[in-house]
Amino acid sequence: MASEAKRPIGLFRNLAAKIAAIPMILTALVVFLGGTLWTVTYSFTNSKLLPRADFVGFDQYERLWATERWQVSIENLMIYGLCSLVFSFIIGFVLAALMDQKIRFENTFRTIILYPFALSFIVTGLVWQWLLNPDLGIQNVIRSLGFTNFDFNPLYNPDIVIYGVLIAGLWQGTGLVMVLMLAGLRGIDGDIWKAARVDGIPMWKTYLFIVIPMMRPVFITTLVIIASGIVRLYDLIVAQTSGGPGISSEVPAKYVYDYMFQGQNLGQGFAASTMMLLAVAIVIIPWAMLEFGGKKRV
Amino acid sequence: MARNVTPQRKAINTVIAWAAGLLIFFPILWTILTSFKTEAQAISSPPVFLFFDWTLENYAVVQERSNYMRFLWNSVIIAGGSTVLGVLIAIPAAWSMAFVPSRRTKDILMWMLSTKMLPAVGVLYPIYLICIELGILDSRAALVVVLMLINLPIIVWMLYTYFKEIPGEILEAARMDGASLKAEILYVLTPMAVPGIASTMLLNFILAWNEAFWTLNLTAAKAAPLTAFIASYSSPEGLFYAKLSAASTMAIAPILILGWFSQKQLVRGLTFGAVK
Repeated sequence: MASEAKRPIGLFRNLAAKIAAIPMILTALVVFLGGTLWTVTYSFTNSKLLPRADFVGFDQYERLWATERWQVSIENLMIYGLCSLVFSFIIGFVLAALMDQKIRFENTFRTIILYPFALSFIVTGLVWQWLLNPDLGIQNVIRSLGFTNFDFNPLYNPDIVIYGVLIAGLWQGTGLVMVLMLAGLRGIDGDIWKAARVDGIPMWKTYLFIVIPMMRPVFITTLVIIASGIVRLYDLIVAQTSGGPGISSEVPAKYVYDYMFQGQNLGQGFAASTMMLLAVAIVIIPWAMLEFGGKKRV
Repeated sequence: MARNVTPQRKAINTVIAWAAGLLIFFPILWTILTSFKTEAQAISSPPVFLFFDWTLENYAVVQERSNYMRFLWNSVIIAGGSTVLGVLIAIPAAWSMAFVPSRRTKDILMWMLSTKMLPAVGVLYPIYLICIELGILDSRAALVVVLMLINLPIIVWMLYTYFKEIPGEILEAARMDGASLKAEILYVLTPMAVPGIASTMLLNFILAWNEAFWTLNLTAAKAAPLTAFIASYSSPEGLFYAKLSAASTMAIAPILILGWFSQKQLVRGLTFGAVK
């Protein structure tokens, strides 16, 4: 560590480096940590229209978990999150594996498949609200082709409305997953494929036991991106279903927002956002420890 | 990477991939086509695909009802401003993490990125209050700062991965020749990292452009960007699909065009840390 010949410069550089990183750390610290702590604190108050430091203990949390809308929100987010993780990984990987074997006009294809990601969730939600509309969209088109019994109407069925949202979410996100996976596949040494073929290992086994484990870093990046998208799920719901029919496609972020700004029940909104925070922390912290804790000194 | 693929195999792959590509592109195409239809044709059954009377009427109506240019200009200022500001703050930070790593660099990076996973609603109210206190609610300045903060972790992370690929010896050589720290970053590091910085800026421009949660909540009329423009057409215009499509097309056109002309940077930007 201290084997540098030009010590003074090294020391100066270290200081400069610390100073250079300060603006970033400060902003992250003040905004995220400060804002979050503030929210957590006021979640123990019975603030209504304006934040008031009138502490009521866990009242807001009891009320929160007794609310049906909150329970529906949590369930929806879990279904959406799990499905979008599984499906976007599978679809993205299969498409990437296809593309890795060289196709024509690859760059154009890649751009087109990335386009949905470059759209705002608001646009995505509106477009899919329309495509899934039974009288105007997919159902109508297929029925007009002669399949009059065809039934595909997720947005107006409370039981499956969240899967209608999932389709739009997957449409937007899968292209990005594919491009990430493709980048990972391209990074794999061509000799590995040759070696596997010489050894007579079938293609699917090569993918499953050799290539996928080698792509770990890419998988982690992808996981981070998808997961942060899941927690943020809000715009898509607002544009596509507004939480309906009834409350059947509500999500936690919308619950928080509605209680803060429309329900004029700040305390309840704060308690809900604290629960979201807690849920994220429960997932992230053990994972981060596993991933980064072990090799701190590398 | 390159495996030998027979021509037939390549043709089959191309067909499958392009079928998937068209399927993915179809909703965008459909929206654009619908924007040129009349309202009656937009909801006609069976739907007409290409053979309809093309009209620009929807665009005229949308333009008349809301001033597109104002929303567009707000979007440009907000997305551009937050990206430039973010990069200015991120370059020194990424420099320090890439070239003067300490024992905690990895931790800081990880910790910082994890803020990206926190639910944004957790800080919504505090930021809303700050904006009210400072009297900057519904101003472009507020959104520039907020969106910069939201995307800063990604900017730093991306720049860090690009900077790490630049050999530290080059910077050292510049220092040996008597370059000051400022000169080192400004005239040696930055020019070498231009492709990386360009990709970072492009991606963050798009992210900021599309950000709806914050823009919808912190603006009313004055500073509203295109996300608000399109959202305003969703509720009262619910049944006018041709006009909604025209508004959508107007909102997404700048990004589609920008993306088309910067494919390489876009793909590099979107694959950030993943490509090694």
